[in-house]
Amino acid sequence: MAIQIQHVSFAYDGARSRALVLEDVDLTVADGEFLILLGPSGCGKSTLLRLIAGFDRPTSGNVRMNGNEITGPGKDRGMVFQDLDSALFQWLTVRRNVEFGLRVNHVVDHERKLQSDEALRMVNLSGHEDKLVDELSGGMKQRVQIARMLAMRPEIMLMDEPFAALDAQTRQMLQTQLVSIWSEVKRTAIYVTHDIREALNLGQRVVLMSAGPRANIKHEYDVPLDYPRDQTDPVYIKLLSTLSKDIEEEVTKVWS
Amino acid sequence: MVVEAERAPTTPMQVMRRLSGIWVSVVSVLVGLVVWEIVARFFIDPFFLPSVTSIFFGAVELIQRGLLFEHIAISMFRIIVGFALGSVAAIPLGLIIGSYLPVRQLFDPYIHFLRFIPALALTTLFLVWFGVGEVSKVLLVMYSTGFIVVINTATGVVTTHKNKTLAAQTLGATPWQIFWLVTVPAAVPSMYVGMRLALAGSFLVIVAVEMLAAESGLGYLIWTSKLYFRIDWMFVGIFLLGFFGLLTDYAWKMIGRHLLGRYVRETADY
Repeated sequence: MAIQIQHVSFAYDGARSRALVLEDVDLTVADGEFLILLGPSGCGKSTLLRLIAGFDRPTSGNVRMNGNEITGPGKDRGMVFQDLDSALFQWLTVRRNVEFGLRVNHVVDHERKLQSDEALRMVNLSGHEDKLVDELSGGMKQRVQIARMLAMRPEIMLMDEPFAALDAQTRQMLQTQLVSIWSEVKRTAIYVTHDIREALNLGQRVVLMSAGPRANIKHEYDVPLDYPRDQTDPVYIKLLSTLSKDIEEEVTKVWS
Repeated sequence: MVVEAERAPTTPMQVMRRLSGIWVSVVSVLVGLVVWEIVARFFIDPFFLPSVTSIFFGAVELIQRGLLFEHIAISMFRIIVGFALGSVAAIPLGLIIGSYLPVRQLFDPYIHFLRFIPALALTTLFLVWFGVGEVSKVLLVMYSTGFIVVINTATGVVTTHKNKTLAAQTLGATPWQIFWLVTVPAAVPSMYVGMRLALAGSFLVIVAVEMLAAESGLGYLIWTSKLYFRIDWMFVGIFLLGFFGLLTDYAWKMIGRHLLGRYVRETADY
């Protein structure tokens, strides 16, 4: 069991009457699993991811990794942020961004080169090492973020709607690339999205969250399909329609 | 990227475009001078607006008397030393104030109170405290530079996006590493802009101080020209202020582009 979330509730400090964003969430993520957190916007799925990352602490309950309680960020959990620019170091080249974690951890030169080369190859950025990140397209920026995470070889890869700001073609291409990276590195991946097709293209298991506040896990769906996902497969189509109905209920709750 | 192309002209086409840009500015200045000359000669009493040529001869006269270069040198010395020392003191302070809330709370009342007191109001006081020599003048420039740079540096630190710090934490960086490798570089653009504003502010302060309490400098030159009814000398002083202001600002911009290029990419383009 890579991640174990038990009875977790969360409210932001100083929130009015401590309105709960999450209430009594229970979830376990298996080693090496590709898990999707799916839900309407504002349902607290990013909040749950931030609790796993250790950026925030639960108001009650606990989040454990390999049995140990998570008390803060750590290099065993990598993170890819949704925003294209704010998480990258724009004064550094692509390679320096990817090597940032290796350098601060004093990884020796040849080892560092090896690990960053490998990460850059996996995201197909070989040949762009010397560019500054603001010379890159949105899709390439997200690949730099992914490579920066991969270079550290974290046990768990956390991704917060990393492709939401990209165009449909780039998004689809990166989804394919991400699946092949995941199959190569064999690490646990937890991926937040509001896009049902993206969830079905990537995940082995899809966890649907109810609308917030006091969000919780509504249903879980296994996706018993091989990669790359065939969007015409009857199982895929069935899941797509079930999930659509299920999520629509939650969206309606918010809007009515 | 257009910005990139302008910074480093590589193709002949880009060089041409760059040169023609410079020519537009040169022609603009020449036309301005000619219009001034005509207006001053034929339409306005030279007592109010001397012609360009008479200002030029006024400058020649000042050079022959051997004082002009001294005035320029002493003003520039006060500006540059005051600006440099002020920045050296202000940058570390701004970084610390921006990073640690207790330090910010400690200094904030002083900074936000003092920054509304112009250096001019303190001129006489500084003369009494630090004497009539160069120390008081340099300190006044330091004073005015310091506040602008402290506030801009601290703002740069505070506005560094949280995601950068969080990302560094997930990559295993220690707080000390995050400060030096993330916060400081992320604050460079606003430090740079703050220093550029402070440089312009230094001219303002030094001229006023030299008018009030100095025996040398461009401010002094402008002030004393009045006593001799030499409006052409006054214009020489005014012109030189604008010219050296432009020059130092240009120098600062070049430092930004060439030494801090990757930190201040957009900021150094205008």
